[in-house]
Amino acid sequence: EEVFPYPEISNEELEEINQFVGPVEKFFNEEVDSKKIDQDAKIPPETLKGLKDLGLFGMQIPEEYGGLGLSNTMYARLGEITSLDGSIAVTLAAHQAIGLKGILIAGTDEQKAKYLPRLASGEHIAAFCLTEPGSGSDAASIQTRATLSEDGKYFLLNGSKVWISNGGLANIFTVFARTEVVDKDGQLKDKITAFIVERDFGGVTHGKPEDKLGIRGSNTCEVHFENTKVPIENVIGEVGGGFKVAMNILNSGRFSMGSASAGMIKKLIEMTAEYACTRKQFNKKLSEFGLIQEKFCFMAVKAYVMESMAYLTAGMMDRPGFPDCSVEAAMVKVFSSEGAWACVSEALQILGGLGYMKDYPYERYLRDTRILLIFEGTNEILRMYIALTGMQYAGKILTDKIKQIKKGNVGVALGEFLSKLQDIMGRKVDYGLVGDRGVVHPSLQESGKKLEENIYYFGATVRGLLSRFGKTIVEEQLVLKRVADIVINLYAMTAAISRASRSISIGLRNHDHEVLLTNIFCTEAYFKNNYAMTQLEKYADENLDDSIKKAAKQVLEKRAYTCSHPLDRTF
Amino acid sequence: MRLPWARVLPRGLWGGWGAPQVARSVCQHSRPEGDPAGQASGDASGDASGDASQKASGAPVRRGPPRGAQGKGQGPAAFAAALAALEQAPGRRVGRLELVAAALAAMPALGVARDREAYHHLLRLLPRGVWVPRGPFQRLLAPFPRQQECGLQILEQMERYGVIPDAETRFLLLGVFGPHSRPVRKCQRMLYWLPRLRHVDPHPLPPSLPPSGLATAHLGLRRIANDPDAHVTVYQRPVPDEGDDEGSIQPYIVGAQSPDQQELLSQHGPARPVFVEGPFPLWLRSTRLSYYVLRGDPLPPHLREDPPDPERSLYYPLHLDLDLERGPWDDDDFDVEEVEEGPVFAMCMVGAGDRHTLGKWIAGLQEVNPVLGRTPVVFRLGDGEPTTAGAPGGHPVPRLEAAPARPVVLGPPDPPRGHGHSTSGDTRSGGGPGAPPAAPGE
Repeated sequence: EEVFPYPEISNEELEEINQFVGPVEKFFNEEVDSKKIDQDAKIPPETLKGLKDLGLFGMQIPEEYGGLGLSNTMYARLGEITSLDGSIAVTLAAHQAIGLKGILIAGTDEQKAKYLPRLASGEHIAAFCLTEPGSGSDAASIQTRATLSEDGKYFLLNGSKVWISNGGLANIFTVFARTEVVDKDGQLKDKITAFIVERDFGGVTHGKPEDKLGIRGSNTCEVHFENTKVPIENVIGEVGGGFKVAMNILNSGRFSMGSASAGMIKKLIEMTAEYACTRKQFNKKLSEFGLIQEKFCFMAVKAYVMESMAYLTAGMMDRPGFPDCSVEAAMVKVFSSEGAWACVSEALQILGGLGYMKDYPYERYLRDTRILLIFEGTNEILRMYIALTGMQYAGKILTDKIKQIKKGNVGVALGEFLSKLQDIMGRKVDYGLVGDRGVVHPSLQESGKKLEENIYYFGATVRGLLSRFGKTIVEEQLVLKRVADIVINLYAMTAAISRASRSISIGLRNHDHEVLLTNIFCTEAYFKNNYAMTQLEKYADENLDDSIKKAAKQVLEKRAYTCSHPLDRTF
Repeated sequence: MRLPWARVLPRGLWGGWGAPQVARSVCQHSRPEGDPAGQASGDASGDASGDASQKASGAPVRRGPPRGAQGKGQGPAAFAAALAALEQAPGRRVGRLELVAAALAAMPALGVARDREAYHHLLRLLPRGVWVPRGPFQRLLAPFPRQQECGLQILEQMERYGVIPDAETRFLLLGVFGPHSRPVRKCQRMLYWLPRLRHVDPHPLPPSLPPSGLATAHLGLRRIANDPDAHVTVYQRPVPDEGDDEGSIQPYIVGAQSPDQQELLSQHGPARPVFVEGPFPLWLRSTRLSYYVLRGDPLPPHLREDPPDPERSLYYPLHLDLDLERGPWDDDDFDVEEVEEGPVFAMCMVGAGDRHTLGKWIAGLQEVNPVLGRTPVVFRLGDGEPTTAGAPGGHPVPRLEAAPARPVVLGPPDPPRGHGHSTSGDTRSGGGPGAPPAAPGE
């Protein structure tokens, strides 16, 4: 299948990547002063020039337009290195992963020929303008308008966008605005269109850079458009098709966050281990204490799984035929952002007071990591996306079966009852992962079996949820959150098992360590999944959703904390 | 007691000295002193004649000071003074229960009904240790019922006025009635329930209401719709500032509207009229306020909610394209036949409920909701005089009965009649605090 064996790249590609990796690493280690960038809230122009010389501004642009033309996997690999400095990573990502992706994916050849060469060399920087003060994920509330001029040769763009990365530096903006479109029914409708807007078109102004908690070197500001003339040739896709363009852009840039976080955590583990193995307290090295060891194991497991998921997704996306890996990319993003936040917290904790000081980079990493949970789709929204897309897919398949059950067909009901009985008695699930003909290496058998069991019971749970809620499950966010958590864990387990299996089979260095990490992760994830699945059953004691909603309602009614003070008396 | 040897004398079934007299006096406590003969009989112990005569003379004395003290003034000091005067009066011992009953009745008039110290004062009048039953067998016989009733009366009055007993109250009661008596039990129960019940009202009114006017209108509006987002605006201050505004020069106008209501109004559309209905009553304790409501008719079914837009959310699908409905085990909605009511756009309370004042309210609302200027406003006031403020053309407006709320016929919208959208705009723009809207057909 697509997942086993773990996607590999050929030797030539591997050599190519390693050739890129060397100079970039050298550049980041020597010439990038992250502390100064963080303090000044600005990336110095020499650094930017260095990045442009290395070609990092055009990583995914095809070579014919002057870029490096890297595949997704190689892009992920380089992302591991650029993530050493959060601001630079975000600037590059805003430029390539979203800023010029629109032109790459949906642009015509003229647009590509016109804009991509200069974007690849870094002469022009790109930015992605979608968010407005009143509209975060709600596309219908965009207020920026683009009206067709009388001669029909250009659009007049009016509006303002907020929190645009690279807003101050960029010359080329991908702007989304509302246009009036005549539907095929002949009705006049307001639809979103994507435009390529150059700063030279006039009327483009930007505010001062926002003072942020983390990624302070990245330039984030408001951008205002006043009667900006945009020629019709600069429409990306078709007029009124901006929604699809936006969705494709957003869904395709997410997977690199996995490898970026993994790279950062690997570096953190090095630095922190150095400290833990040298510092002594109570006449013992810190590394000999169990709690510290647990933290290191946690960081290593998270880094391993993040890497596996990211490269698995990149490998899947690199297959011919442009497969739609948006759900997998979303899963990678959620897991990596939360994992990175937890790991950086733990690393800072190992250092104790020193980690809190500005002299050490940990607090900067912590602040930079916090934004990962928010941008590129907040984790809550992505959980909804993962769960609902899965439900849609499952629903299409299961609709008939569920309807039959509801109708009360005796034979079907009996079949259901028997299978439920078998479930309770503990059934043996076999999807072909483990065993003699299995794709998983024998030392990962246990984890494989756990994965299979989880998958089977998850299927049963989803069926139960669909028959309970039907299409109104959209409103049950607490249920969907659990479903999404289970799915993310399942994908993570799959990726880890696949990669460890390949490691053993080939004989990579330290493959037994990988197997160990995989087994640890799979056991933990197995228990978490089982707990989530018990919570999803009807009338489960572990399910606190109703109480949670009730308490939240009481708090929100009064818009304050409503309990009396513990020191209050009544008489 | 003054005569310790009298303890061994046989007592009546109900225990206590002078019980029949006391019983009768407690029953007659609200009537003037009756029967000196009846009271003088049956009192076999000492002080009999003295007590009887003093009781007879004491009764008018007793009656006097509580009522007489009203003239002196009210308050705990006056009450204490009255009680002290009564204590000095002779014959206090036997008529004690009656005294206590009388004092209880007089307390609201003196204004000390909510004062715990006053009740402590009363309790201190009762003798300590005399009414405590000795031994379980005496307890079994339900001793001193009238005396315990008296204690219970005190506690009941405390309960009625919401006075929470204190540790001191309990101490006094223990001293008077003993640990297993009914008053002490009742005190324990009060100590459990009253503190709880004090917090049982989720929307308590302040204990003393301001005099009827602007402040009560504020209170009333907040009470009707406790929306934290709502803006309560005073469109017109009353002149004179206090007192009842009937017939005053400038009645007050206080209105409330929340941002959600503003949005609804802006989406309501100028082609369909909005109605000013009222007055509806609202009682705040014993004050009656009336409020008026700006309402619109509900949308006919064919104009309701837009179909789901698939391009609404960039990140996750808002509607699943499945054919499955919610199962019956998870369906928390009830099959309720709801009466369709139109949206309420704003509320107000006015000093005088005539169209002139309400027109000023509408003009004030228009500043925040410009769409009101183009919408015809129909006044459906309870006095049966429906008028259309926006149809100067003398258009035949359907005459409505006095009842304000009417069932609405939901059909497709009528073709818009040519009546004065522009003219209503003129009157609206001309309106302001000064000009009343011209209203023909009145």
